[in-house]
Amino acid sequence: MKKNMIAILMAAAVLMTGCASSGSGAGEDTSAQSEASSAEETSAEAADGASYTIGISQFAIHGSLDNCREGFLQGLAEEGIVEGENLTVDYKNAESSTEYANQIASDLVSGSPDMICAIATPSAQSCYNAAMNTDIPVIYTAITDPVAAQLANEDGSSVGNITGTSDKLPVEKQLEMIRELLPEAETIGIIYTTSEANSESAIAEYEAAVEKYGFTLETVGISTISEVSLAADTLLAKVDCLNNLTDNTVVQALPTILDKANAQGIPVFGSEIEQVRKGCLAAEGLDYVALGVTTGKMAAQILKGEAEASQLPYESIADSGLYLNTAVAENLGITIPESAQERAIETFAEISAE
Amino acid sequence: MTLIIGVLEQGLIYGILALGSYITYKILDFPDLTVDGSFPLGAAVTAAIVTKGGNPYAAFLISALAGAAAGACTGLIHVKCKVRDLLAGIIVMTGLYTVNYRIAGMANVPLFGSETAFDNEWINQIPQGLASYKTLMVIAVVAVMVKVLLDLYLKTKSGMLLRATGDNERLVTTLAKDSGTMKIIGLAISNGLVALGGSVMCQQQRFFELGMGTGTVVICLASVIIGTSVFKNARWMKATTAVVIGSVFYRACVALAMNLGLETTDMKLIMAVLFLIILIVTADRKKKVRNHA
Repeated sequence: MKKNMIAILMAAAVLMTGCASSGSGAGEDTSAQSEASSAEETSAEAADGASYTIGISQFAIHGSLDNCREGFLQGLAEEGIVEGENLTVDYKNAESSTEYANQIASDLVSGSPDMICAIATPSAQSCYNAAMNTDIPVIYTAITDPVAAQLANEDGSSVGNITGTSDKLPVEKQLEMIRELLPEAETIGIIYTTSEANSESAIAEYEAAVEKYGFTLETVGISTISEVSLAADTLLAKVDCLNNLTDNTVVQALPTILDKANAQGIPVFGSEIEQVRKGCLAAEGLDYVALGVTTGKMAAQILKGEAEASQLPYESIADSGLYLNTAVAENLGITIPESAQERAIETFAEISAE
Repeated sequence: MTLIIGVLEQGLIYGILALGSYITYKILDFPDLTVDGSFPLGAAVTAAIVTKGGNPYAAFLISALAGAAAGACTGLIHVKCKVRDLLAGIIVMTGLYTVNYRIAGMANVPLFGSETAFDNEWINQIPQGLASYKTLMVIAVVAVMVKVLLDLYLKTKSGMLLRATGDNERLVTTLAKDSGTMKIIGLAISNGLVALGGSVMCQQQRFFELGMGTGTVVICLASVIIGTSVFKNARWMKATTAVVIGSVFYRACVALAMNLGLETTDMKLIMAVLFLIILIVTADRKKKVRNHA
């Protein structure tokens, strides 16, 4: 029995170390860098002598969330806190599992970093919970409604040693843009995941606003990615255009939706730059990199001791930008008004599969 | 140190779930998939009670009852409607998704502003030095209580019949007892414990998330199998104890893997291989082969 135990433990140890080394060898630069820089932490000090460690907990592998993370590090770098120089980053991804999100949170807290950055709602909640009895500040990003997530008070002030940025969608501007591009359209369809809090609050906003722009709204809620295909079929039969939220599950299934919509010549609107790049007609949306940069700058303020997380109200990006995809417009035979073309901050002339 | 506390906290919570799965998987030999639904059910019920200012300890009890009802449904579908065991679990698990959503009212319910079993006036009276252990202490008390109660139950007449149902259904029939009823009781207790685990988890992590049940069955089975296989020859140790230790061991493996800088994407394969190794190393091969022939 003892022998068995030892055999198991040894096998486990060999397995894990084997995979650990192969993992960092695979070119995942954050983990490789963090390993390297933690080994020589003392040598990695900037001119002002201060060096920082930040733990990042990201809820899912997802284009927008990845952009947030990149932007966050960019924002820090602009303030002189550069990864690999005076910043050590411990990045972990929860693979959309609350079980892992919790494990990651307690794991990060046990390493006593100078700050934890949490990307998306469940990660932020578990990190805030795990760090509550410590003095580690938590900074979040990509949360649509920090008030509903109980991470901020009604007036935007912080509930504790936590602050961050919200990716609240510019719903009215999006509707205005759809009206501009499709003057005849009557019905907008939205597919959303019932288990995503972000989508729930966005749907509520759309419901309140569609009438003002002369639309009616049709929604279909799904619970898993496998239902997207059916939901798209259902909606496409009764709408003039589809509109995407930042819904993680639906965005992952975007190719399916685009495929079905294109077959019927129905335009699909996105909610951020990545979706337009991949083949949505247009989006009045957020640039998640910019959102990350804002978050990074807030983080820098806290790290340098210029502000306390508990004193900083959460921020959202006030301006949205118009993204257009002319290749999609051409395929659908839609002429984009000149005014919109001039206003667009980025126009894609081709559909990128990536 | 925080890491060890974290592992123990999470391990013991999943230990409560594993005790539930132990009843169905090991005692009744019933592959119960209801747990993927009854775990968030416990959390949803708890979120609904706690956010309305209800007593967080009462939430434990009410969650367990809700879970027991879900388990009884699976049992009734299986026994009375003669639906196969796996399918009965899948049906109830699927239905519970909607039920959970309706109970919680939202896909994500935070409990940061509410009193929980780990953060209320009564529990906060403990001395400052012990404050960082208070969550662990409450979880440990619940886990140990559940284990002891389960041990006691298994010694009663009903508990004996439950064990007999899994081992030899005919024996139960010859005793003029209904093995179907015993299955329903077993499933109810099992899912009651799983939902209790969901309630504890929800209060510990301070939020309910509709998707939190995904993969619960795998974690539970892993804990049960690790526990019962590793301590198979330790006659002095009760199987229930082994299961709880198995759960903590599983959690420790996950934490260790993360600490070594592993990608979470690689984790599942590692767990699967670890799982297989444990089964192979601990298998009493001659007996196993005959059992499975």
